[in-house]
Amino acid sequence: MADEARIGAARSTRSLGWAIVLFLVLPITIVVPVSLTDQRYLSLPQDGLSLRHYVNLFSSAEWLSSIAQSFVIALGAATISVVTGTLCAIGCWRIGSRWSELVRVLMLVPIIVPTIVYALGLYRLWVQLDLLDSYFGVMLAHGVTGIPYVVVIVSTSLASFDPRLEQAARNLGASVPYALRRVILPGIMPGVISGAIFAFIHSWDELVLVLFIASRTIFTLPRRIWDGINEHLDPTMAAVAAVLVVITGLLLLLDMRARRRAAE
Amino acid sequence: MTAHAEAGVLSGRRPFFRDQWNAYWLMVAPAALLMAAFYFYPLVQVLWISVTEPSPGLDNYAQLFTNLSIRRTLVTTARICVVTTAITVVLGYVVAYVLVHASPRAQRWLFLGVLVPLWISVLVRAFAWVTLLAREGLINHALRDAGLIDQPLALIWNELGITIGMVHYMIPYAVLPLYASMRDIDARTVSAARGLGATRLYAFRRVFLPQSLPGIIGATVLVFIFSLGFFVTPAILGGGKTLMVAEFISLQILDLLRWGLGTMLATSLVLFIFLLLAALARVVDLKRLFGAG
Amino acid sequence: MREEQTFAQDCAELLRDELAAGRIDRRTFLRGLAALGIAPAALAGSGLLAGEAAAQGAKPKEVVLANFGGDAVPAFTEAFAKPFEAQQGVKMVIDGSGPTTGKIKAMVDARKVIWDIIDSGTGQAYQLGEAGYLEPIDYSIVDKKKLDPEFAYKWGVINYYFSTVLAWDSSKIQGTPTYADFFDVKKIPGKRMLRRTGLAMLEPALIADGVAPDKLYPIDQKRALAKVGSIKADSLYWNSGAESQQLMRTGECVMGLLWHTRANVLERDTGGRIKWTFAQAILQPGIWIIPKNPPAGAAWANRAINAMQEPAGQVLLLDRMGNGPANPAAASLVKPEANRANPAAPENIAKQIKFGGEWWMQNQEQLAQAFLDLISS
Repeated sequence: MADEARIGAARSTRSLGWAIVLFLVLPITIVVPVSLTDQRYLSLPQDGLSLRHYVNLFSSAEWLSSIAQSFVIALGAATISVVTGTLCAIGCWRIGSRWSELVRVLMLVPIIVPTIVYALGLYRLWVQLDLLDSYFGVMLAHGVTGIPYVVVIVSTSLASFDPRLEQAARNLGASVPYALRRVILPGIMPGVISGAIFAFIHSWDELVLVLFIASRTIFTLPRRIWDGINEHLDPTMAAVAAVLVVITGLLLLLDMRARRRAAE
Repeated sequence: MTAHAEAGVLSGRRPFFRDQWNAYWLMVAPAALLMAAFYFYPLVQVLWISVTEPSPGLDNYAQLFTNLSIRRTLVTTARICVVTTAITVVLGYVVAYVLVHASPRAQRWLFLGVLVPLWISVLVRAFAWVTLLAREGLINHALRDAGLIDQPLALIWNELGITIGMVHYMIPYAVLPLYASMRDIDARTVSAARGLGATRLYAFRRVFLPQSLPGIIGATVLVFIFSLGFFVTPAILGGGKTLMVAEFISLQILDLLRWGLGTMLATSLVLFIFLLLAALARVVDLKRLFGAG
Repeated sequence: MREEQTFAQDCAELLRDELAAGRIDRRTFLRGLAALGIAPAALAGSGLLAGEAAAQGAKPKEVVLANFGGDAVPAFTEAFAKPFEAQQGVKMVIDGSGPTTGKIKAMVDARKVIWDIIDSGTGQAYQLGEAGYLEPIDYSIVDKKKLDPEFAYKWGVINYYFSTVLAWDSSKIQGTPTYADFFDVKKIPGKRMLRRTGLAMLEPALIADGVAPDKLYPIDQKRALAKVGSIKADSLYWNSGAESQQLMRTGECVMGLLWHTRANVLERDTGGRIKWTFAQAILQPGIWIIPKNPPAGAAWANRAINAMQEPAGQVLLLDRMGNGPANPAAASLVKPEANRANPAAPENIAKQIKFGGEWWMQNQEQLAQAFLDLISS
């Protein structure tokens, strides 16, 4: 199928596509030289290269704990978003009534409303529930605001999924959960994974809510970067970015390798 | 996972839940309840401020028509968001198209390229652009060294810089839904059209494009709504001269204590998007957009 | 429960009177409190009750000072928290999570105040104070003799000085430019840099327009904004101090109005390429405020503010961050070489223009919007 399909992509289109991806990647690569700067502020190296910002990153308890906090929170938040969001998207898709459409349209509200407005409400509620400045509080806030991304993306994926497949499975006696696990989920897996990535990154990069509901305990990575930027454009954030780029790259390469081996 | 189990158990035990529709509503329930309790409840309380502060009534909403700063901010926001969305969706479409048609190996690399930027904080990305686009930045230096320009180009501190930064940020968010919907287009339909003598372009336009429409609409709506709430990138790359509505609201709430005005704008934004979606629903089938097939 | 507490408080008050009259010592006082079952640590736990009791003088568990993070957290810890702890036996914590006006309002509205003292400014102090979100400064505890009474306001009091100075790129500009040059892009081409909130930006504009430095207040807003608007096409505006540094350092702007602390670091980082001056700079107070019902109690918040007027800590803060000591007695402790960048040095105070806090208090809120409208149109 891939071979047949490739007929459709002209060389010029392909070049354009690669050029756009380069446009995405190249500006990011600048974080590598910037992270090696010999200056104490975000800039290109001036008189030579220096590893001091990496040393700072890996020897500073603050930066490391921020990375760990962000990771744990994003993982928890993404789990909440993906599990509930995927279920919700599938449920709405199968029901397909006015009411389920309303649910899906309402899911857009968190993407529309500027975060600061919600932050205000969240703060008041978290005071009542005593969730301020706690892991669980941030995780829940990020998890809930991540649900819409998952719903939207999984729904897009479902749009091109043939509902008759599920119907057929059900007619053959499969229960709803069984059909879900064996028929629907495998079919929309790319959408679910995209949704998971979005949900994770939504939490990983979220600053406005954290600035409102965190004080002394929770100091996530974006908050640390924000702190460094306001101070003197601390190049440590470039070192963090460079490390993340390398890790993402390595993971994808590993995955590629595993697949190649599996293919052999 | 517990939710599926629950649905299963319930559908087995009680006749009421044997109806599969109820099982599906049970699938919707966790997300709906979480959102209701931890999103909509606190949000509505805050939005309510728009009709109570500083005095009860619709005074804040009247400002929508009388306040010049609000009008200017809205016009700027609309302009930037429309331009950004248009460019983003076109570029994202090309990437998604190339992605679905690429070999698995090339796909991996393309995915790497699309996903890597997502990991970099929006703040870091904005400052990366400053390093590149500034007067004494890398691009101007390179162009000057190549003898192409005498004076540095004004690539930043204007809407050009903002658009570059925002498009760069948004493309991955357009590619993912587009890819998800294109991936399931049956390539044989295009091949068949080609086999029947259609040109490449014709086959694309008449066969592939219509099938990818849900993805396009989904990506457009997502990117547009997303860019409405943007302000870090515009504030940094615009040299402080650009004020978008999300930052305007943020200022009212964080610095000026005009909570009524800020929440009024937020409420209006939500209503505006819903009206837009309702209008859109007359032209395209929203159910298709949200995956009801 | 309520009655019991009142009684205990009454006893506590009695003890405090005894202590004040010198009939008992501090140790006895604390032991007395403990006997009443209102151990200081338990009292400071949380809530209004603890606050009330603490207001009576009981030792809180800690005093929390909120600022905007970064280097200010370790610097404040060294300069203020440690001496305070040593002297008073009460822990002081610096919370760098950013006390924006909106967050303070949300906190007080929700009756969940977690800060005792907030690093603030005149505009914010007035805005919050008049809206009922602050405790007034108690000048029976905060000693006015340790500061310039001009910056002792009802809702806030000075702890340090900073200055908005003119900096320029000496590789592009010969000599020392004036405010008139700053607003004259024909004479000296190149981008200018101003603060995006407009704070302390109107004074230079008026001086450039010919207003005498002693006739600035009340500010002729229309005239000042027109002057700022006249160079709009050639201006960039900074939000954070770090951004102001970057715009000057990278040669994006040839002249800028920015904080003296940032200008000083710029001069060092660029090896003297960026120069700056205190001449006609706007000398501003860093104002400390107390939110309504602070957890440690208003009395302790005031006490901490007073303790932080000690010259030693303020001089340390000057060394670490460049903030000028508010206590005039600190002048003799400052090393001569540190005075170059000390806005509070007597010779530098003489060169600068004192910020019209009273005028800005009344007008800052409305002006911030007007300024933003001007630059974003």
